Amino acid sequence: MLKRNRYMDRGTCLVWVFGDYADYFQNRVTLQLIAKGKALASELGTRVGVVVLGEDIGQYVMEYVAHGADVIYAADNNALKDYDVELFTAVAASWVEIFRPEIFLAGATAFGRELFPRIAKRLRTGLSADCVALEIDRETGAFVQTTPAFGGDLLADVVTPVMRPQMATVHPGIFRELPHDPFALAELIHPPLPNLPERKIEVVRRRKEKARRASLTDAGVVIVGGKGVGSRANFDKLFQLAELLGGEVGATRPAVNAGWAGEERLLGQTGKSVRPRLLITIGTSGALQYTAGIRGSETVIAVNRDHSAPIFGLADLGIVGDADRILSLLIEELNRRL
Amino acid sequence: MHIAVCIKQVPDVAAVRIDRERMTIVREGVQNIINPSDYQALSLALALRAGLGGTLTVLTMGPPQSEEALFEAIAAGADRGVLLTDPCFAGADTLATSHVLARAISRLEPLPSVVFCGNNTTDSDTGHVGPQVAEELGLPQVCGIFEVQPESLQTLLAKRVRDGYLETIRAACPVLFTVKGVSEPVLLPGLGSLQSAFSAGSIVRWGRNELDLTMDETGLTGSATRVWRLRAAPHRTKGEILTGQAHDLVKEILKRLEAMSLVEEEQIHG
Ligand SMILES: Cc1cc2nc3c(=O)[nH]c(=O)nc-3n(C[C@H](O)[C@H](O)[C@H](O)COP(=O)(O)OP(=O)(O)OC[C@H]3O[C@@H](n4cnc5c(N)ncnc54)[C@H](O)[C@@H]3O)c2cc1C
Ligand SMILES: Nc1ncnc2c1ncn2[C@@H]1O[C@H](COP(=O)(O)O)[C@@H](O)[C@H]1O
Repeated sequence: MLKRNRYMDRGTCLVWVFGDYADYFQNRVTLQLIAKGKALASELGTRVGVVVLGEDIGQYVMEYVAHGADVIYAADNNALKDYDVELFTAVAASWVEIFRPEIFLAGATAFGRELFPRIAKRLRTGLSADCVALEIDRETGAFVQTTPAFGGDLLADVVTPVMRPQMATVHPGIFRELPHDPFALAELIHPPLPNLPERKIEVVRRRKEKARRASLTDAGVVIVGGKGVGSRANFDKLFQLAELLGGEVGATRPAVNAGWAGEERLLGQTGKSVRPRLLITIGTSGALQYTAGIRGSETVIAVNRDHSAPIFGLADLGIVGDADRILSLLIEELNRRL
Repeated sequence: MHIAVCIKQVPDVAAVRIDRERMTIVREGVQNIINPSDYQALSLALALRAGLGGTLTVLTMGPPQSEEALFEAIAAGADRGVLLTDPCFAGADTLATSHVLARAISRLEPLPSVVFCGNNTTDSDTGHVGPQVAEELGLPQVCGIFEVQPESLQTLLAKRVRDGYLETIRAACPVLFTVKGVSEPVLLPGLGSLQSAFSAGSIVRWGRNELDLTMDETGLTGSATRVWRLRAAPHRTKGEILTGQAHDLVKEILKRLEAMSLVEEEQIHG
């Protein structure tokens, strides 16, 4: 089935992760995927490799190795200095044809979501989008890619029965990265570059949008407000509470739509995923599109005035009460204890 | 300039409910609309054509009823519609969908200089189709733009927000754009254009034969992925749910925060 070639002599490496290092691991999803890829690889009796393209990529390569990569496939080349979807597609697709990985993963970031469809199309293989779980089915050996369907109420288990590699983009924040190991070793391969297409797209200007960017995805405490918070003034109290607990503020779709919080604070299927130690969710009903983004939280406290709200189904502590009343009292009490 | 826009008719998600027993979506009484980001794409395409002149063609792949979306687009100012419909197109994943769309676009006369897609659909929500159409047509792609303007006869300037940066991008035609985040897309159907929407010949229908596609290339058989099973998203086990006086409830919250060492324990005096 699998044609061996000279690159495979030292043991196969059939689970690949695309190295997305934009903004210096801002979203850390590549590191999370290396950890998951390693687990999948060990079930398949193979190793995990990371594809790293660019110029002066040494620092990224070292970071990937320290986080568990067994093999690095690297191109350190001036022609790849600036990301271009057609150039990166050409290189990645040609390497897949040389090494024939079984599985190829990338983060479901803006980058992954525009690059991976093109690579998959060129390779005529399947791609599932924004997965929230990945596993090898014990009975059939199938690589099962779980993606939210119908706005998150259902989960679809998707397989790619025939074509290879089996490709998936994965929601950031779902898997946990391995601890940094400065002594880790890996195999470094510099595969040949294919003929590169010319660049047709040019970034003329690039400037940071709004300086303040919530580091929500890394926060240890997250306070989320939903529609039930009721007003902008009430919502502002979430920021006070977050400040008191050293946390960050997240919001549901209706809260963002009402202008109480910026789009960058949106949690859920169409927003960010968080996995804090503590998440307090206030005035949110618990729609699956929202809870998709908070499932990784260690402890969840929910406040809702409706005792039958679905959010209580995933709360470790459910508080039936008025959002504003509870918020105000809690802030008052915390201030008193300072 | 010839501009093509790929639009899809989707159920109005706000109104869709899930039947969790039967694992199906309840579409009864649910209106179909043009997918929101395709609607935005159409509004950018109309503005671009208003500046440059030329022809605007809208394409959709779907069941016969999705013709409604084409009528709506023509009423808003598109010149003609192409309905890609065939029983064998059903069940397509993004690989097969993009194949049919790309084939159809490659058959348009003259070949479009700009192709627009939405960023993603609200029903399948992969965002794959735009880049995959671009790949098959050999076009460069710029994803997630919210504005585009002509710079010269052959180049366009587009804007997008990406990873927290506002980017201005120069693209040479032919090019494919996917669109999202247009703040106020408006399509205003005028009376005259409504008439032209329903005039004969403004919509053509192409199926497998017209596009010279084999069964193996389309629909479920042309797809690389299979939905193995659908299941309800799991609920976590329930914790404690407390009712009572707000003061007592807040004390319970504080106890948890103390247990997690997030706040110091209250000093008991006296
Ligand atoms: C395709 C799709 C994708 C989506 N993606 C996302 C996403 O990424 N993120 C997201 O958040 N949503 C998303 N949504 C929307 C989602 O379905 C829900 O509509 C949304 O999460 C509900 O937000 P909410 O809980 O704030 O509001 P509501 O559902 O309106 O809930 C408000 C809650 O507040 C409670 N309440 C009211 N007043 C008070 C009070 N005074 N004190 C205490 N409690 C009170 C109510 O009992 C109620 O439970 C998506 C929807 C679709 C269709
Ligand atoms: N059946 C279809 N007919 C026409 N255009 C489509 C179709 N499916 C997807 N598209 C286009 O591809 C974009 C991305 O779709 P998706 O990959 O489903 O998220 C949409 O916004 C449309 O512009």
